[in-house]
Amino acid sequence: MSEPLPATGGAITRAPSRIWRRLSRHQAGLVGFVIVLVILLASLLAGILTPYPPDVGDMVQNLLPPGSPGHLLGTDQLGRDVLARILYGSRISLAIGVYTVVVAGALGTVVGLLSGFWGGWLDTAAMRLVDVQLSFPFILLALVISAILGGGFRNLIITLVISTWVMYARLVRGEVLAVKEKEYVEAARAGGSTDWHIIFRHVLPNVSTPIIIVSSLQIAQLIVAEAAISFLGFGVQPPDVSWGLMLADGRDYMMNAWWLATFPGIALAIAALGINLVGDWLRDIWDPRLKV
Amino acid sequence: MTRYLARRLLETIVVVFLSLTAVFLMLHLTGDPVKLFLPTDALPAQIAEVRHRLGFDQPIWLQYLRFVAGAARGDFGESLRYGVPALKLLLERFPATLELTGWAMLVSLLTAIPVGVISAARRNSLTDYVGIIITVTGQAVPGFWLGIMGIILFSVRLGWFPTGGRGTWEQLVLPTLTLAAYTAARFARITRSTMLDVLSQDYVRTGRAKGLAERYVLYKHALKNALIPILTLVGLQLGQLLGGAVVTETVFSWPGVGRLLVQALLNRDFPLVLAGVFWVSLLISLTNLLVDLAYAWVNPQIHYG
Amino acid sequence: MNELIPRRGTVRLLALLLMAVLLLAAGCGGSSTSSKAPGGTAAPAEKPVVVALGADTRTLLPMKIVDMTTYQQIRNIYDTLLTRDPKTYALAPELATSWRALDDKTWEFKLRQGVKFHNGEPFTSESVKVTIEKILDKSWQSHYYTRFEMIDKIETPDDYTVILHTKQPSPILLLRMQGLLPMPPKLLKEKGIDELAKHPIGVGPYKFVSWTKDEKLELEANPDYWAGKPLIEKLVFRPIPEFSSRLSALLAGEVDVIQNIPVSAVEQVNSSGKARVESVPSSRVNYIALTNFKPGPLSDRRIRQALNYGVDVDGIIKYVMKGHAYRMAGALSNINPEVNKDLKPYPFDVAKAKALFQEAGVDPTKLTLTMDSPQGRYPMDKEVAQAIAAELKKNLGIEVKITYNEWGTHLDKIVKRQTGNMFLLGWGPALDAEGTIGDLAVKDRTYSGFAADPELQKMIDNARPIVDPVKRKAAWDAIQKKVYDEAMWIFLWQQEDLYGVSNRINFTPRADEEIEMWRATYRK
Repeated sequence: MSEPLPATGGAITRAPSRIWRRLSRHQAGLVGFVIVLVILLASLLAGILTPYPPDVGDMVQNLLPPGSPGHLLGTDQLGRDVLARILYGSRISLAIGVYTVVVAGALGTVVGLLSGFWGGWLDTAAMRLVDVQLSFPFILLALVISAILGGGFRNLIITLVISTWVMYARLVRGEVLAVKEKEYVEAARAGGSTDWHIIFRHVLPNVSTPIIIVSSLQIAQLIVAEAAISFLGFGVQPPDVSWGLMLADGRDYMMNAWWLATFPGIALAIAALGINLVGDWLRDIWDPRLKV
Repeated sequence: MTRYLARRLLETIVVVFLSLTAVFLMLHLTGDPVKLFLPTDALPAQIAEVRHRLGFDQPIWLQYLRFVAGAARGDFGESLRYGVPALKLLLERFPATLELTGWAMLVSLLTAIPVGVISAARRNSLTDYVGIIITVTGQAVPGFWLGIMGIILFSVRLGWFPTGGRGTWEQLVLPTLTLAAYTAARFARITRSTMLDVLSQDYVRTGRAKGLAERYVLYKHALKNALIPILTLVGLQLGQLLGGAVVTETVFSWPGVGRLLVQALLNRDFPLVLAGVFWVSLLISLTNLLVDLAYAWVNPQIHYG
Repeated sequence: MNELIPRRGTVRLLALLLMAVLLLAAGCGGSSTSSKAPGGTAAPAEKPVVVALGADTRTLLPMKIVDMTTYQQIRNIYDTLLTRDPKTYALAPELATSWRALDDKTWEFKLRQGVKFHNGEPFTSESVKVTIEKILDKSWQSHYYTRFEMIDKIETPDDYTVILHTKQPSPILLLRMQGLLPMPPKLLKEKGIDELAKHPIGVGPYKFVSWTKDEKLELEANPDYWAGKPLIEKLVFRPIPEFSSRLSALLAGEVDVIQNIPVSAVEQVNSSGKARVESVPSSRVNYIALTNFKPGPLSDRRIRQALNYGVDVDGIIKYVMKGHAYRMAGALSNINPEVNKDLKPYPFDVAKAKALFQEAGVDPTKLTLTMDSPQGRYPMDKEVAQAIAAELKKNLGIEVKITYNEWGTHLDKIVKRQTGNMFLLGWGPALDAEGTIGDLAVKDRTYSGFAADPELQKMIDNARPIVDPVKRKAAWDAIQKKVYDEAMWIFLWQQEDLYGVSNRINFTPRADEEIEMWRATYRK
C-alpha cells in the first residue's frame, strides 16, 4: 500500500533503535522493561536456577523458615521448596495472563471489527451481549463460570477469556467507528475495495495500538485475578502451581509461616508493577490519550 | 430526552433479562443442589422426592418458563437454604453492602484525586514515581491478601480494630480501606493521565502564559475538566466495587450481599443466586444510566438522540 | 471533553458529588443505628461468650436441621432424648432416663420428670409423640423422615413413658433418639410451627434471645434448666466464614471458641497468651475410597491391598498431621464402641506392595490413577491428598492426578459415581458400625465408594436386624475383618479435632463435634 498509515496518536515505529532510545529516556518504562525481562528469564531458566521440583518435597523437612540451608525462601507444609515453586509458578501465572490476553484479544477484536464495521443487527446483538457482561462484576461472573467448569489451568483460562473479551470488543468497535468515517476509508471503498480488504488494510493497523496497550496492562490484572479466583477455591490444580495458588494456600499459614504467602505475593506485585510500567510506557509513546 | 430515557430503560430491562437467562441456564447445567440440603445418609428415593418437590425433575424449558413467570412478578422463589423469599433476603443485606461500598468509594475519591493531581503536576519527579509505584502496587495486591494482612497487623498485633462483623464504626475501618485500595489506585491513575492530557491543552497554556498562579491553573481549570471522566469511572467502578465486596465481605465476615452470593453459589441456592444476579445487574445498569444522565446534565453540550 | 466546561456545569458537578456524599452519610448513619443491638440498660457482669463457626444456622427449627453447624447451635436450646457419655461415647440418658427393648420391635423409654420448656409448658411423653409425628408428617418435609420411618406406632401410657413400635426389628432406633429434640406440644397446637421457627422454645440449657441472619445468634442461660443453670450467662454464635479471620478473631480476644485449628497453628495459639488449643479424638474418620464400581485396576483386591502397603500413613500422620490424628486399622476408629480391636493397620511395606502388583500382573510405573479431594473441609485435606499422591509416586511409581472440588461438587461427584479412581472423604460422627460400613460399603447407598461382593453384602444384610448386643457385635466384627481384607479404602485415620479456646473460659470439646456450652465455665 502506498498511502501512509493514519495515526491516532503517535506513529507506530518499529525500528528497534528508536524504541530503545525512547525507552531509555522513559525511566519508569526502563525499570518495567528490566523487571519483565528478569521474570521471563527466571521462568525460562527455572530448571537451572533450582535443583528442586515444584510438586514433590521431603515431608520431613516441612515449614523450614527462609534462610534454612538449601532453602533460601524456606519450605512449605509438605516440605516443598518455596523458591522452586515461585520460579516454576511464574510459568503458569504468566501463561494464564498471556494466553487469556491472546485468546480474549483475538475474540474481542473479531467481534468488535465485525460489529463496528457492518453495524446493523450484528452490532446491536453483540453490543447487548457486551452490556450483559459488563453489567456483572467480573469476579462474580468468573465465580459462576468456575463453579460450572471446575478449576484447573484450562478452565481458568476459559473463565478469564469469557470474563474479559468484551472489553476488547467494545474498544475495537469504538476505534472502528472512528476510523470508518475517515476520508481515506471512504475513498478506498469508492475505489472498489472489498470490506475485508478495508478491514485488514485500514482498520486493523489502526486498532492494533490500543489493543496492544490494553493487553499489556491486562496481563497484570489477570495475574492478580487468578489469585482472587484461587482464593475462592477455583484456581489451578496440583501438581500445577501458580503464584495465586501459593498465595491462596498460604493464607492459612500467614500467622505462623508468613513466608508461604509473602514471597509469592511479592513476586506477584513486582511482576504486576513491571508489566504495568511497560504498558504505561507503550501508551505514553504510542497513544497518550488512551484511557486505560 | 424522554425518548432517550425510554430507550435506555427498555435496554436495561433487556440486559437484565438476558443476564438472568444466561445465569439460569448455566446454573441448571451444573446439576441440582438437592444433595447439599439432605443429610449424608439420605437414600436415593428421598433425594428423588426432594428433587420432585422442588421441581428439578421437570424439563429445563418448563423450569425456565416458571422462573420467568415468577421473576416478572419479582418472585424468585424461596431460598433453598433459608426458606424465605430470595429477593427479600437479598434486600435485607443490601444496606450493609451499600454502606461498605459507599464508604470505600468516598475514601477512594478523597485519596485518589489529590494523589493523581499532584502526580500529574510534578510529572516525572520523585513524588510522581512514588505515586506510580504505590498506585500500581495497589492494583497488584489481591484484596484478600491485603485484608488478611490488615487483620493480622491492626487487629491481632495492635488491637486497634475488630477483626470483622458489623455494627460499630471501628468494624467499618478495615474492610473499607481494603476495598478502597484497588479502586483508589485506579482512580489515581486515571486522574493523573487525564490531568496530563488537560494540562497539555491550549487554554491551560494560555492561562499560564497570562501569569495565573500555578495552583489556580491546576485546580480551577485543569481539575474541573478532569473530573468528568472520573465521574464516568465512578459509575463503571461500581461493578468492580461490588465484585471486590465479594472477597472483602468474606474476609471480614461483613453480612452483605457479596458474601451472601458467594455462599449461595457454593450451596447452589439457585433462587438466591438468580435474585442476586437480578439485583446486581439492575443496580449496575441503572447506575450507568444515571451516570450518563448526570454527564449530560453537567456538560450540556452533549446531546443524546 | 477538552473544552472548558461552562461555569454552570461545574456548579452542577460539585452539587452532584456533594449530594452523593450526603446520601451516603445519611444512609450509613441510618443503617448503623438500626443495626445496633437493642441491648438492655444494665451492663452484664461478663462479656458474652462467643462461639465462632464457619457458617450461620440455617434454621431455628429443631427437626429441620440438616447440617452439623446448625445442630451445634440449636442443640444448646433443645435437649435430646438420649446423649452420648462424654468419656465412653456409649448412649447415656438425657431427657429419657432409661430405656429397654420390650421385644424385637417394641421399645420403652422412661422420661425425666419435672422438666419444663422455656415457656413454662411441662415436658411430657406428649412432646415426644408430637415431635415424632411431626417428623413423620410427610408434608412437613423433614429430612429426618427416613431416619424415623421405621416407627409404626407411638404409645404414651402415662406422662413419662413412651412406647415405640417399629415396622421391623430396628436396633438403630436407639441411635435415632440421640438426635431427637422434643418440641413443646401446646405451643405448636396454639400458635403453630411458624412461631417456633421464629422463636425457638426448648427444654435446653439456653433460651433464645435473638437471631440476626449471618450476624449472630444470641442466647441466655435458662435459670430453670433441669441440670442446673449454666455458668456461662450469655452465649453468642457468630458465623465467620473465612478461617484465617476466625483465627485472628480468637487471637484478638473477640471470640472464645473456634473449631478446626490447623495443626501448624497449634503452637502459635498456645503461645499467644490469649487462647489455647484443646484437642479431642474425633469420631470422624478420614479415608481414601478405592472405587470398584467400574472395571479397572481397583476392581482387583490385590491392587487395593498394595495401595495400603505402599503409603507411609504413619509418616503422613507424623509430618503432615503433626501427630494430630489416630491411625485406624479398619473402617472404624478406636473410640468407636463397636470397633473390632483385633485388626492391626496395614504395615508400610513397599516390597509387599510391589509383589502384590506383580501377582496381579499390573506394572505400577505405567499406572495413572485419578483422585478427587475436597479442600478445606477436613483437617489438612488438601495437603493429605498431595502427600498420598507423592507417596504413591515415590514408592511405587504410580502417577496420581488430583482434582480439588468445591464441597458441593465433591459430594455430587461421589453420589453420581463420577469421581476418579480414588476420593478423599471424612465420615462422622461415626460411633457405630452400621452407620459407617452399612452406608459406605454398599453399592446403592448415597455416599458409598465401594460395591460389596455378594458375600460381604449378605453379611451386612444379615447383621442389620440383629437386636441382641452380643450377636450384633460378633456379626459386625466379622464384617469389619472382611472389609479390612477387601481393602475397600486406604484406611487412614481418625481425626483429632483441635479447638481454639480463649483463656477466660474452660471448655471441653467432644468427639462427636457437639458444642455443649452449658458445661463450660469461666476461669477465675
